[in-house]
Amino acid sequence: MNLNLLSYALFFPAMLAIAVWTAQVSHRHGRVWMLRVFDGEAVFVDAVNNVLLVGCYVVNAGYLALVIGWWEPIVELPEMLAVLTRRIATILFLLAWLHYQNIAVLLLWSRFKQRRQPTPPMP
Amino acid sequence: MTDKTVLAYFIYLPLALGLTLYVARTLFRNGRVFMLDIFRGKTDIADSTNRLFEVGFYLLNMGFALKVLEIHRALETNQELVEVLADKVGGFAIYLGAMLFLNLYLFFRGRRKSRENRPLPPAGTIATEPAY
Repeated sequence: MNLNLLSYALFFPAMLAIAVWTAQVSHRHGRVWMLRVFDGEAVFVDAVNNVLLVGCYVVNAGYLALVIGWWEPIVELPEMLAVLTRRIATILFLLAWLHYQNIAVLLLWSRFKQRRQPTPPMP
Repeated sequence: MTDKTVLAYFIYLPLALGLTLYVARTLFRNGRVFMLDIFRGKTDIADSTNRLFEVGFYLLNMGFALKVLEIHRALETNQELVEVLADKVGGFAIYLGAMLFLNLYLFFRGRRKSRENRPLPPAGTIATEPAY
């Protein structure tokens, strides 16, 4: 019996929780920025925001499940800890990169809009 | 130990179909706003078009889920079962996410096109919607 199944059972729920949490934080706090980008049209912004949230869930959970199929066999406990830590670190870096990417898009887009119409009526 | 392929199919099917259902429902519940925008507030035609596209989304993605169902290797241990299932469900979920974002892009595009073709407001009225 090797330790792969145990590692999966530790890895998947923990990473899924972090991904869901990140997505929800972005959903909650990205709304203000999207209102700025879409001229304060709240109904439209909420629709887009909800679809983006679900897209984020599906893609993140899908990627987490996908990489589980590619792990090497794990036999000993020290090996398990090393592999688990490396895998978790990779996921965290990916999430961080996506997160900053999101922030950059919102920032640049709202700056672009403000430059096109110099005095936007703030909602 | 006996082969676990049939068990894998019975786990994969509800997961993949349920995921499709969840994604499609969310997408088209929020797609209504876009449709109303595209069809300029005509509720009946917006709702009908939305529903038609929703059914199309179900057919396309459930069809794809069934198409990729087959597992081409013997599953003997629980570990193999988990790994193959995770690979399949995860791949399908990412495909579904791609379809979701494609749909969202098409919604945006339709909205932009509809706004471009919108006739000018009658003289003396002020356009309340910004044009972009």
